[in-house]
Amino acid sequence: MPISDNQNLLEVQNLSAGYGGRRVLHDVSISIGKGELVGLLGANNAGKSTLINCLSGIVAADTGRVAFDGNECTDLAPHLRVERGIVHVPEGRLLFPGLTVRENLQLAGINPTVRRDREARIERVIRLFPRVGERLDQLAGTLSGGEQQMVAISRGLVSGARLLMLDEPSLGLSPLMVRTIFAAIKRLNEEEKLTILLVEQNLRLTIAHASRCYVLEHGRVVLSGSSAELAEDPRTRKAYLGM
Amino acid sequence: MDLLIQALVQGVLVGSTYAVIALGMGLIFSVSGIINFAHGDLIVIAMFMCLSAFTALKVDPYLALAVTVPAMVVLAAALYRFLLRRMIGRPFLITVQLTLGLSFMIQSLLLMFYGGEPQRVPSLIEAQIWLVGDIVFEGKLVVAFAVSVVLSVLLFWMLNYTDFGRSVRAIRQNAKAAALMGINVERARLKTFMLGIGVLALAGSLLVPGMSIQPTAGLHLTVITLLAVVLGGMSNFAGILIGGIVIGIAEAFGSIYVSGTLGLIFPYLIFVAILLFRPAGILGRSQ
Repeated sequence: MPISDNQNLLEVQNLSAGYGGRRVLHDVSISIGKGELVGLLGANNAGKSTLINCLSGIVAADTGRVAFDGNECTDLAPHLRVERGIVHVPEGRLLFPGLTVRENLQLAGINPTVRRDREARIERVIRLFPRVGERLDQLAGTLSGGEQQMVAISRGLVSGARLLMLDEPSLGLSPLMVRTIFAAIKRLNEEEKLTILLVEQNLRLTIAHASRCYVLEHGRVVLSGSSAELAEDPRTRKAYLGM
Repeated sequence: MDLLIQALVQGVLVGSTYAVIALGMGLIFSVSGIINFAHGDLIVIAMFMCLSAFTALKVDPYLALAVTVPAMVVLAAALYRFLLRRMIGRPFLITVQLTLGLSFMIQSLLLMFYGGEPQRVPSLIEAQIWLVGDIVFEGKLVVAFAVSVVLSVLLFWMLNYTDFGRSVRAIRQNAKAAALMGINVERARLKTFMLGIGVLALAGSLLVPGMSIQPTAGLHLTVITLLAVVLGGMSNFAGILIGGIVIGIAEAFGSIYVSGTLGLIFPYLIFVAILLFRPAGILGRSQ
C-alpha cells in the first residue's frame, strides 16, 4: 500500500460480488489516493465492470467493505453515492437519447450536493468541452460517439464527482477522438486534481495515462503497481490477454 | 350530419377524461414496467367514496375531490410500498396476476360494503345541458373536458420543465443510467404512482355525476384505459392522449350508431383495426 489508510479517497477491502449466486469478484482490495489517476486493466469478463458497478452501488457486494473519504458506503444506494461524489460514467455511455444534451446535464446535477450551482457547473464543463456547448439543444441520441462520450464525462462532472470512474471511455471511438477524450481526462486529473479510476481495454493508453494500475483476472487482483513497472512485466500482457 | 357531430362532440368530451386516466397508467408503466390491472377498480373506489360523501353529508362529487384525491394518493403509496414495488423487474405475467388479483379483491370488498345494485351519485350540474345549434353539450362532460385539458397541459409541462418530469423521462429511457446520475429512482417511481392514482381519483369525480356505478365496473374501465395506452404506444405520452380521445369517440359512435350490446364492442373493433395497421401505436414508434 503506497499511501496510508486515512489519506485514501477510496478504500476497498476484500470485496466479493456477483450476479444471482454466480460470483464474479473474489476478495478484491484496492485503494485510490486523493488526486490519483488509477487504471484498472483486464481482459473481457475479468470483472472490471462488476467492480465498478459494485462501487457505484448498481451491483450489491456479497462480502467486504467499501469506504469513501473515510466513510463506510458498502450498502449505500446509487443515488446517495453520487451525492457523496462517487460518480460512474458507464460503459456505452448510457445517455438519455430522447432528452436534449442540456436536459442530460441538468439531470446529472439533480443531487442536493450540487443542485444549487448546477447551471454554473454546466457552464464550466462547456469550457472544458466546447463541442458539448454547441450541442446543448440537440437530442443526445443524435450526437456522434465522441460527442456522446464528452457529454457522458460532462454529466459526471456536473454531478460533482470527487471520484470519477470511467468505464471504457475509448470504446467505439475514432483514434482522433480517443486522443481528445484522453487529453481531457489528463487535464481533469492534473489541473483540477480530480481523482479518476480508469477502466480500459486499451492497455497502452491506460499505462500511458495512469500513474498506477491494478490488473484483474478472473475476478481477482493478480497484479498491481506503477504503470512503468507493469508495462515491463510480462504477466501484465498475459493477464490482459486472458491466457 | 348533426348526429355525426354529436357523436364526435360526445366522444371527444368523454375521451379527454379517458386520456388523462390513461396518461396516469402510461406514466406508471414507463417508470416501473408495471401495467396495473386494478387501475379501473381504483377509479371505482374513488367513485364509491363520492357516493359515501353524498349519502352521508350531501357533498357534491366535485367537492368530494378534496377528500378522495388525498385518500387515493395515500392508498396508492401504500399499494406501491407494500405490493407493487416488489414486482418491478419481475416477469410481466406476475404483475398481471397480482394486479388482477387486486382487482377482484377490490370488487369483492366494494360488493360487501355497498351491495351489487347499481347506484347513482347526483350532482348539481348533472342535468345541465347547453345547446349549440342542434348539438347537445352536457354540462358534466364539458366540465370533465375542461379539467382534463388543464390536467394534461399541467402534466406535459411537468414532464418537460421540472426536475421530476425530466427524471421520469430519464427513468423511462434507462433506469440504471438514471440511478448513476444521482436520481432517486425508487422515490421517483413512488411519486409517479401517487401522481397517476391521484389523477385517476380526480377523473373519478369527473365521470361519476349521473353515472350508474357498480362494484364490478372496474375491469371495464381498466380495459378501456389499457386500449388507450396501447393505442398510444405504451409510453408515448402524446400518443396516449390521442388514444384516449380515439377510444372515447369509438365508444360514442358505438352507442349512437349501433344499437344495443353490439355498440359496446365498437371501441374494440376500432382498436384492432388501428393496431393492424400501426402495431407500435398511433404515433408510430414505441420506446
